[in-house]
Amino acid sequence: MDAFQGLLTGFQVALSLEGILFVLIGVIVGTLIGMMPGLGPISAIAIMIPITYGMDPAPALVMMAGVYYGAVFGGSTSSILLNAPGISGTVATSFDGYPMAQNGQAGKALAIAAIASFVGGTVSVVLLMLLAPALSSVAISFGPPAYFALMFMGLTAISSLSEGSTIKAMIAAVAGFMVVTIGIDPQTGTQRFTFGNVNLFDGFDFLIIALGLFAVAEVCILVLNRKNRSLSDDQKLGSLRLSKQDLKEMSGPVTRQSFVGFMLGVLPGAGATIASFISYIFEKRIAKNPEEFGKGSIKGIAAPESSNNAATSGAFVPLLSLGIPGSGTTAVMLGAFLVLGVQPGPLLMSDRPEIFWGIIASMYLGNIFLLILNLPLIPYLAKILSIPRPLLISLVIMFSLIGVYSISFNVFDLYMLLVFGALGFAMRIFSFPAPPFILAFILGGMMEQAFRQSMTISNGSLSIFVDTPLPLSLLLISLLSLVIPAFLKWRGNRLAAKQR
Amino acid sequence: MLASINQRLGLLLFVVAAIYLYLSFQLPNYQYAPIDADVIPKGLGILLLILAVLLFFSRAVETEAEKKKRDIPKKEFGVLATVFGMIFLYILLFELVGFVIMTVLFIFFCSWFLGYRAWKTNVLVSLLFPIVMYAIFVFALGINLPRGILPL
Repeated sequence: MDAFQGLLTGFQVALSLEGILFVLIGVIVGTLIGMMPGLGPISAIAIMIPITYGMDPAPALVMMAGVYYGAVFGGSTSSILLNAPGISGTVATSFDGYPMAQNGQAGKALAIAAIASFVGGTVSVVLLMLLAPALSSVAISFGPPAYFALMFMGLTAISSLSEGSTIKAMIAAVAGFMVVTIGIDPQTGTQRFTFGNVNLFDGFDFLIIALGLFAVAEVCILVLNRKNRSLSDDQKLGSLRLSKQDLKEMSGPVTRQSFVGFMLGVLPGAGATIASFISYIFEKRIAKNPEEFGKGSIKGIAAPESSNNAATSGAFVPLLSLGIPGSGTTAVMLGAFLVLGVQPGPLLMSDRPEIFWGIIASMYLGNIFLLILNLPLIPYLAKILSIPRPLLISLVIMFSLIGVYSISFNVFDLYMLLVFGALGFAMRIFSFPAPPFILAFILGGMMEQAFRQSMTISNGSLSIFVDTPLPLSLLLISLLSLVIPAFLKWRGNRLAAKQR
Repeated sequence: MLASINQRLGLLLFVVAAIYLYLSFQLPNYQYAPIDADVIPKGLGILLLILAVLLFFSRAVETEAEKKKRDIPKKEFGVLATVFGMIFLYILLFELVGFVIMTVLFIFFCSWFLGYRAWKTNVLVSLLFPIVMYAIFVFALGINLPRGILPL
């Protein structure tokens, strides 16, 4: 099936009544949860997963994808209005969005963000459509060693690119991998770390980890910040209209950063947050008047917003074509696929074209819906920001509890949700990043399997990972991604010490 | 006395890694697998051990932002513990008493406890949310939530 025919199949899914309905639900829910400061796209996806039980996989996944890019789209609203980013991918948007809103031009800032997001999202869907099938057809020949090396690279990349200490990020990744070893080993039937507890035989469901480590832990932070201001009723948004001059000024950054964002999204470990920061700095460097940045510059809003949305679609490339998530958020997306019995990877395009192409086609539609939601309807939508924090906290706790209970009907899992919630909270206050944990948890089982398959092929010799060029180069890249930053830091410290 | 927070965390993680590693060495053998179930756990245990040592000896100074994150007033810990206590009670009782009743109680009291004083809205939300969720899950999705002592 060629791309054009595939896309037609995809639009048949996306433009069916069911398809349109679920894209719409997905992007609305995504926008709303994305707006809430403190609740990120991982929580949004995890909270929505139970709703998909029993649904057809194609519309369900179209909806889940909508939740993801909807959350990134919607996150900018609270960055601009409250200076409290809804998600980490829109932190950079607040640098110029909030000052512009303070000048009484909130409407203009929201309009710039919406248009930049729309362009970024749409450009990258086109690129996704071109790149994902190509990568699928290459990846079909990958053996277990290459897969192991790819996943290993994903984990090292997310660790070295995480905010703060790389050691802490690696500890988080190792801990996530350790949690996945709990349960009965699928290959030998050995019970590992179950202590004879029947509830642990099947290991932890990923929803317990995702909701605990993200939703419940984020609720804890919300409890601490419950007195922060929410949107007051009298806040004026101002006109949403943009002049021709404004549009001209944003056209350059939007075009450039859509491509930058997409590429960063495809690479493992980066994703929307890093893409938005890099794009912001990029535009500031090449701007004629960089001193305007930080004071309400149009370019300063347009650059991160086009980039973070482009990165979101870019992240679907490795997910759909390799079946390997490159970030915490896409790891939870993979979980959503698996819950529905769909295994993404090189075979997805030929085995389940309606899903592969359905998701891609639905993104065109979703971005149009998001533009409508975030431009003319934004004054009404922004009202959600005035929900009282205490009520929001109680409701999110309930969503998490119902979500976990409805997978297993097992009260033990609910207690585990509390345990992982406490762990996630502890990780946040001690500055251990949570995305490497969830990525390692999702990849852990697959990595162990790929490792053992490789070792079986090679009859127990580790040389299988270095004999062929692909795994060797991937492993080398992973190693360098850890060693080079550490070396640079060490040299920087030494230079600083010498100067002293 | 351990000076920095990273040293304390490093020590704690070292202990965790040691216990995990000890348990990995207790795993039974299975003859017919070229790579047995204990290989990956042993590797992970050793890796965590090394990382814990690195964290212990890392000279990274805690940034102001990181310190601020840790700096939580004692009273707020009490608030968090109470919320966790309420969730615990909820889990303990909700299969017995039923989803709807427990959820009404939880949402109302949790929101009230966290300082939400608009009681009319609170009553409305805490009644509507459980009933709507119950209807969606039981009637639309076919997922049974505990009915408890209510007849329906």
